Amino acid sequence: MNTQVALITGASRGLGRALATGLAREGLALIIDARNAAALQQTAAQLRAAGGTVTAISGDVTDPAHRAALLAAVQTAGRLDLLVNNAGTLGASPLPALADYPAADLRTAFEANVIAPIALIQLMLPLLRASGGAVLNITSDAAREAYAGWGGYGAAKAALEQASNVLAAEELAVRVWWADPGDLRTDMHQQAFPGQDISDRPRPESVVPAFVRLISQRLPGGRYRAADLMPAVHS
Amino acid sequence: MLIDVAAPADHDLADHDLADRERADHYLADFVLPAEREAHDPPEARGLARDGVRLLVSRRASGEVSHHAFADLPGLLLPGDLLVVNTTGTLPAQVRAAGGLAVHFSTARPDGSWLVELRQVKDKISRPNGHGHPGQVIPLPAGASLTLLNRATARLWRARLSVAVVPYLLRHGLPIRYSYVRRDWPLSFYQTVFAARPGSAEMPSASRPFTPEVVTALATRGVLIAPLTLHCGVSSLEAGEDPYPELYDVPPATARLVNHVRASGGRVIAAGTTVVRALETAARADGQVAAAAGWTAHVVTPQTGVRAVDGLLTGLHEPRSSHLRMLAAFAGPELLARCYAEAISSGYLWHEFGDVHLLLP
Repeated sequence: MNTQVALITGASRGLGRALATGLAREGLALIIDARNAAALQQTAAQLRAAGGTVTAISGDVTDPAHRAALLAAVQTAGRLDLLVNNAGTLGASPLPALADYPAADLRTAFEANVIAPIALIQLMLPLLRASGGAVLNITSDAAREAYAGWGGYGAAKAALEQASNVLAAEELAVRVWWADPGDLRTDMHQQAFPGQDISDRPRPESVVPAFVRLISQRLPGGRYRAADLMPAVHS
Repeated sequence: MLIDVAAPADHDLADHDLADRERADHYLADFVLPAEREAHDPPEARGLARDGVRLLVSRRASGEVSHHAFADLPGLLLPGDLLVVNTTGTLPAQVRAAGGLAVHFSTARPDGSWLVELRQVKDKISRPNGHGHPGQVIPLPAGASLTLLNRATARLWRARLSVAVVPYLLRHGLPIRYSYVRRDWPLSFYQTVFAARPGSAEMPSASRPFTPEVVTALATRGVLIAPLTLHCGVSSLEAGEDPYPELYDVPPATARLVNHVRASGGRVIAAGTTVVRALETAARADGQVAAAAGWTAHVVTPQTGVRAVDGLLTGLHEPRSSHLRMLAAFAGPELLARCYAEAISSGYLWHEFGDVHLLLP
């Protein structure tokens, strides 16, 4: 059997890096990207040191040329079984009220959190269909709850959720999941709460078993919360 | 207690009574299906419950053929047996166009195109339409258009619809119906109790008789049930034409359960030929099943054999259909021919609204 291949965006830190580590441990070959080339190479080196097969391509998912480079890497790998749209942006920091939200920041949030993932899905769909593969879009409870200050990010994630929902209805051959990891101790979360102590939030590694379960058990398409997917603990 | 078991009838045939086998093959290729053996309406229209259809049971080990009601199924299976069901949902896969043209959407392909069959509706009956040419654009309701790309088989075109196919069908399609069914029935008549993922051009009809009561009785009996998905394409193939690739998905939990049940001495019973196709695609030579998904072109015949499935619940099939070769892989041609002769003489009904047949080891 050929090794399964996953493409994970935004994998240099936080949840993306934790997912990459977890999926490499499951034996998937990885193609990863991030904007920060140095941080990405460091993550790639760590994954390889642990025995992973990793192709790292730095760039911004909102850049069509970078997306084309990701497609080329996938074509070189010969197959794609999983696309994880994890890369995202908070928008403005500190989080402004919608009344004051700079339109440019709003546009950036939608570009990175909605347009880029959809564009990447469009590029990868033929390969994903051919392998009976899956798309995992990382979302947030800010897509559903009215948290003050999260209007830009939350509206963009809500759009990504509905795009996922429609994609699942349109695509017979591809599983589509959209999953809320919960609040995590990540750089993005710190940006949302600048200067605050977020050390009470769990580390991103803590939710990886939930995502591994979702992916390795190929659960039916739909919306999930990592908290609901945590595997049973046998003592 | 030791039970003295008579030598299975099949062992007598292991020496190959070739004449018998040839006679059986000949029968299966040539039997005549009398018009009165066709189910023209759903059982509900004949005053029956869904689970009120008849169930023919054949047992390969003993060569025994017996007659039951479908609702007897739980008692015919054993605690620890695993029934694998297809969770595909039936799409209203027929779209009517101008000039009596009907398009049957059969199967999605990786590039986003679909296999479609063009049919001509005349006197409320649709027949194959031999026309069409590459590049032809067929206008469909609500402003959609279908572009024919190239012929995929004698009957099927590869074609591209201008909008997403599944949501379009759900809004503008009708269930596919062939001439032996006398009128259109609502989509609900074409859904099985297990339907969860819309994607089939035609109903996986072996599962049609299942009702919540039968499923509950199976669970109570200790029969296990596990899902997989295979989206069925159109069945209107030319005689002798192999089925084309279909989309399938055997999830990890089902693969593990199949292996566990067989290792424990239980039997894996497929609810429908689609389930056999999916499981046999996912089976290795040693009979172990691994999770798998994608398109399968696997065709089960007596030559390929069955590696991971012990029994099959299925409808009654037409002469020469490729399904009969799959059934022969389970029952052997002699027993299968006897079943079909008995089904005809005993008044069983054929097609998707008809009776069903359980082939046990």
